[in-house]
Amino acid sequence: MTLWLANLAIDRWRGRLAPNERHGADATPLALIGETAHGPRIEAVNAAGLGAGAEAGMMLADARALCPQIATAPADPAGDLAFLETFALWAQRWGPWSALDPPDGVLVDVTGVAHLFGGEATLLAEARRLLAGRGLAVRAAIAPTAGAAWALAHFGTCSGREQAILPADEDAAMRLADLPVAALRLDGDVLLVLRRLGLRRIGDLTRIGRDALQRRFRSRHSPAANPLVRLDQLLGRVPEPLLPVMAVEAPLVLRRLLEPLRHRGLLDRVVTELASDMARELEGRGQGARRLELGLWRVDGDVLLRRLELAAATRDPAHMTRLLAEKLGDVEAGFGIELVRLRASWTQPLPLTQSGFEATGEDHGTSLAACMDRLIVRLGEQAVRRPLPHASHLPERAQRWHPPFEAACAVQDELAFHARPLKLLDRAEPITVLYATPDGLPRRFRWRGQLHEVVRAEGPERIAPEWWRERSTARLRDYYRVEDEAGRRYWLYRLGLAGDGRGGMPQWFLHGLCA
Amino acid sequence: MPDRPPASPRFRVTPDPEHALPPTRASFIELGVASCFSFLRGASDAADLATTARALGYDAIGIADANSMAGVVRMHIAAKELKLRPVIGCRIETVEGLVFLAYPRDRAAYGQLCQLVSAGRMTTPDGAWQDKGMCQITLSMLAGHAEGVQLILLPPDDLARRFTIGEQTGKVVRLDGAALDAEVCGRLETILPQLTAQLPGLRHVAASYLYRGDDVTRIERLDALARANGLSILATNDVHYHAPERRPLQDVMTAIRHKLPVVRAGHLLHANAERHLKDPAEMERLFARWPHAIKAAREVADACRFSLDELRYEYPQERYPGGMTSQQWLEKLTWDGAKTRYPNGLPESVEETLERELALIGKLELARYFLTIKDIVDFARAQNPPILCQGRGSAANSAVCYCLEITSVDPARHQLLFDRFISEERKEPPDIDVDFEHERREEVIQYIYRKYGRHRAGLCATVIHYRPRMAIREVGKAMGLSEDVTSALARTVWGSWGKEIGERHVAETGMNLNDPHLRRVLRLTEQMIGMPRHLSQHVGGFILTEGALTQTVPIGNGAMPDRSFIEWDKDDIDALGILKIDILALGMLTCIRKALDLIENHHERHLALATVPREDRAVYAMLCKGDSLGVFQVESRAQMNMLPRLRPREFYDLVIQVAIVRPGPIQGDMVHPYLKRRRGAEPVSIPAPAPEHGPPDELSSILARTLGVPIFQEQAMKIALDAARFSSAEANRLRKAMATFRSRGKVDELEEMMVERMVARGYDRDFAQRCFNQIRGFGEYGFPESHAASFAHLVYVSSWLKCHFPAAFACALLNSQPMGFYAPAQIVRDAREHGVEVRPADVNHSLWDCTLEPVSGGVVALRLGLRQVDGLPEHVAARLVAARESGSFDSVGALQDRAGLSPAHLERLASADCFTSLA
Repeated sequence: MTLWLANLAIDRWRGRLAPNERHGADATPLALIGETAHGPRIEAVNAAGLGAGAEAGMMLADARALCPQIATAPADPAGDLAFLETFALWAQRWGPWSALDPPDGVLVDVTGVAHLFGGEATLLAEARRLLAGRGLAVRAAIAPTAGAAWALAHFGTCSGREQAILPADEDAAMRLADLPVAALRLDGDVLLVLRRLGLRRIGDLTRIGRDALQRRFRSRHSPAANPLVRLDQLLGRVPEPLLPVMAVEAPLVLRRLLEPLRHRGLLDRVVTELASDMARELEGRGQGARRLELGLWRVDGDVLLRRLELAAATRDPAHMTRLLAEKLGDVEAGFGIELVRLRASWTQPLPLTQSGFEATGEDHGTSLAACMDRLIVRLGEQAVRRPLPHASHLPERAQRWHPPFEAACAVQDELAFHARPLKLLDRAEPITVLYATPDGLPRRFRWRGQLHEVVRAEGPERIAPEWWRERSTARLRDYYRVEDEAGRRYWLYRLGLAGDGRGGMPQWFLHGLCA
Repeated sequence: MPDRPPASPRFRVTPDPEHALPPTRASFIELGVASCFSFLRGASDAADLATTARALGYDAIGIADANSMAGVVRMHIAAKELKLRPVIGCRIETVEGLVFLAYPRDRAAYGQLCQLVSAGRMTTPDGAWQDKGMCQITLSMLAGHAEGVQLILLPPDDLARRFTIGEQTGKVVRLDGAALDAEVCGRLETILPQLTAQLPGLRHVAASYLYRGDDVTRIERLDALARANGLSILATNDVHYHAPERRPLQDVMTAIRHKLPVVRAGHLLHANAERHLKDPAEMERLFARWPHAIKAAREVADACRFSLDELRYEYPQERYPGGMTSQQWLEKLTWDGAKTRYPNGLPESVEETLERELALIGKLELARYFLTIKDIVDFARAQNPPILCQGRGSAANSAVCYCLEITSVDPARHQLLFDRFISEERKEPPDIDVDFEHERREEVIQYIYRKYGRHRAGLCATVIHYRPRMAIREVGKAMGLSEDVTSALARTVWGSWGKEIGERHVAETGMNLNDPHLRRVLRLTEQMIGMPRHLSQHVGGFILTEGALTQTVPIGNGAMPDRSFIEWDKDDIDALGILKIDILALGMLTCIRKALDLIENHHERHLALATVPREDRAVYAMLCKGDSLGVFQVESRAQMNMLPRLRPREFYDLVIQVAIVRPGPIQGDMVHPYLKRRRGAEPVSIPAPAPEHGPPDELSSILARTLGVPIFQEQAMKIALDAARFSSAEANRLRKAMATFRSRGKVDELEEMMVERMVARGYDRDFAQRCFNQIRGFGEYGFPESHAASFAHLVYVSSWLKCHFPAAFACALLNSQPMGFYAPAQIVRDAREHGVEVRPADVNHSLWDCTLEPVSGGVVALRLGLRQVDGLPEHVAARLVAARESGSFDSVGALQDRAGLSPAHLERLASADCFTSLA
């Protein structure tokens, strides 16, 4: 049985709206947009948009020319695929196994199943009903082979339900002879050649004879380029292997408690035990956890959830316990906790390693990943950052903060500057300076109430504003390295030149402290 | 046939009336100037640089583009116009990473420098063919060509950078006598003694005060280093643009060069905007501690006494029979040719014209030029089979050219203005364009290379510059606009020859003009339009010299093998007074020759371009119907529309037809009046001045033959001369102003002058305004009468062929593709409509080319050739035809066996329906 979700992207998007908004959304033309190298391109259109002339595959700019009021929303192909996978699992209610037919179809094996539902026609009716209830437009068909079912669902006329079922004893070749050759799931260029040769229907292909087709289409490797192979698959002469979808359960361990927990110490013990159970479970699968979910069910029905993300896949129960313990500080037990469950929602393969032969050889340090985990858990996601150099002439933009484990791209740059201070202030502090206008060296300056006499000065280093980011009235900076009478060194700058027409007299700032 | 693109825009200098006198001597001269001809590095053109220099008080300005001399002529002209002295130089960047400014002292040194750049551009250091646009100069090459050249070393930004150079140790040899190739690797301190030893012209090290933060330290260090090696520092500001406002454009150019958006270019951009032209006082202030650096710059500039005016042009010398001089030989050939052209006797007017022309040629010493062209044309005609060729352009104004059989415009029948071709006051060299069959033009080019040698003959360059579409795409990409936005903006520019991208265009796309980012992008795009991108080979402009060409201008390699071209384009050549020959290709000549051959073979009629029967009424009837698909020049939609209205009846009507559907007459609103007068709907009246200013038939000699309506370019110019009483200098200015599009101010002032003067003399204001609009529209697209006449000849011949031998004409047209306006499918359809049976390509009957197959009587059918099959290469078709010699094919398998065709090719033949004869 083929289930073709003809409007998957639009239906999913529609499903996310509130029920009362859906009717309005249907009336306005809407397109779902994906980004390509040439600009935004339409991935899917709703019925109103189709009526206005927009089509899938068109560039957004062209569609806007046809229909200026078309609304847009971003397309979500990854979400659609994930949905299709869960849908394939859900469709296993009708058959022992199902396979994906990307981008928007599912094949379910219903051999010998029809009698459980009261016949194939009833099966199809129920499928349509359930899917309509979920808000998905579907075209379904049942046939002896996957190819025939696909052809019927995509190209068979949907007027009567009888068209959607191909009984096993009927001659498939005759029944499908009127379908166009595109129903054979062929590549675009093969379809073009067939069209040029004047072969438009499947019936034409069967009439023309196998020899001719075999001579003309010689590709053996890809069935999608060989109409003869596809025809045989359709008629069941050649097997067509499918890849079934199988559910994978996330590792889950739980403890039901006879007496509800009200004390923290006991909770910690339970969590420790759960952690070792989970470690055993993961070891059995050869995986390590990246994301853990701890669920605490209270007696009064409330559920508390705590989530934990790890920087590297791990099976170490002590590490997991320690991190989870930090998260339990604010748990309100109420009348007691009766069920504790630990689930690893994201795992990665982690092969078994043999620990060192000599136990004394074990080092007692912590890996960087574990250290980062602890810091993140204690301080929060946003608090752990690493600076990486960034190419910019402005000193405060010459480095950026990145998450700790982001890969740093190797940069080989000549030092664009001569000297930079050891300490750069986040925000430059305004100071008053005595200097010879218009661009003389500073002689004396006052910073934070203290007067400094300049003994030595070097500069100016002129850094012009980044014109593509800043307004055209932004002023340049002239940086000076100065040393005062006590031997302290500072990094000052003057914002602008007197008489550059972008403001009054230039202001001075202190930006850093050298040595 | 589509027009040739307009030449690259010349940024013109507008001299300030305050600066009428030459400037006083400045204390400093800027030598490190990179103009926009350091492609995508310099952001200002020569005109801006020169104007700024003059405004700042310089009396001379240097120019030094990276490994190129492409921009020196423009700087020369711009500086001369502003009364500055241009100091010509080049910035040599060697493969070892060293950078020098090279300023030649005299002509010989300049020749050496040109040879150095040519050597770097023509061969790699290993001796292989160098890629187009690349230049690799090694230090030893520089040492070998540095006689008389003043070198200035530009130190790297990071003085700790290490270099590896070859060491010259003549004293140490290996045991077998070979010289030892040692290498020195080290920082600037280590290699500087070596450089000084190898390059005797190296006397200075450049120092720049660029506000790097450690400038004083750095310059002191360089000063000490220089002095330790017996050199001196020289002040320069490493100029990349004329004013600091150009910094964003220079940053965008850097981003484009590195194929990055500006936000990611980071340290590739300069930190500040100091690399602009500063005034001498400012430079003195910056270099107050090192006054000897300022003086050094002045000394180097003073020591360069070379000027481009010294490139006295030496035309190739030849020896003529009987020891005659070139002028005598030319006269002999002319009178002989006149006898052939006028077998019934030379008309007196023509005789006078010839004498006048020959006298002028003798005075300006241009005889050798004409003889060279005649030699090339004779070579082409002497080939077997002869190559059809015809002269065009302003050369068609010359009766001498007609007698020498270079052009085919009969002076007895058309009014020729020899002044358009050569005039004494113009001081410009003449320009003869000759069209050849496009498929055989290569033979002519190779002949020229063979005769003169690659070192004495070279093709001109064309400067490919940024046009609006390309500019908005590149600038938009660098500034982070997405591709659909830039495409939308680019599409609003009409055609690829559009000239600007203004607010009107942006409003069309519906984008918000208030967005400051978008406004910034548009402003940058405007600055970018017109900047050169790279050089490319000109269509066919050759220059020939007596001595080595590389001593005059550097030569670089083209993209095609065995093609090389000089670095100057044809405007530069004209400005320097160097003679140029244009060897052009015309697809219609190939088509005509093929048609004539087919007619000879199938219809037993021997015809040549000159012996086609003239004034055939059936031909004109066909043209009156507008049935002109495939006919030269009149096949476009606009022309097809015009033909039934103009109804040509004689040859002169064709001349007008060719010239009338052009921007000039259309813009001047002269087309409808002409048509009305032709129809008789309007009386033919020639505008006349008021009686007190001039005779009433002042303009009749010019306008009579076109019913009182100016259509040709020189008619409009003559009106300016006669009716508005322009002096020839003013007329020259008018002509020049028309040729450029940037000089809008100039055009307006000339407009006022012309219109007012005509009105003052009693002409109708409306007529005067329309005349001027027409002149404005002529610009680069106007057709002089002689040029229209040469083209009209081809129009007539091709339409005669189409009228009387449609099958042969269609066959020849298909065989000469790509050319013309229409695709093969339309040519075939048109042939069918004229009753020609067109048979499809067939494996048993077709050759590579389309052929004619006799049907019965004198009727022939057109068989399409295998060249029309999409994706079938010529060698495969040749194999097929060869295999067919032993008998036709009877099955597809036979094709595979006997001709060895691969299944892919068989599929292509099948898709093209070539197997019908097998069924």
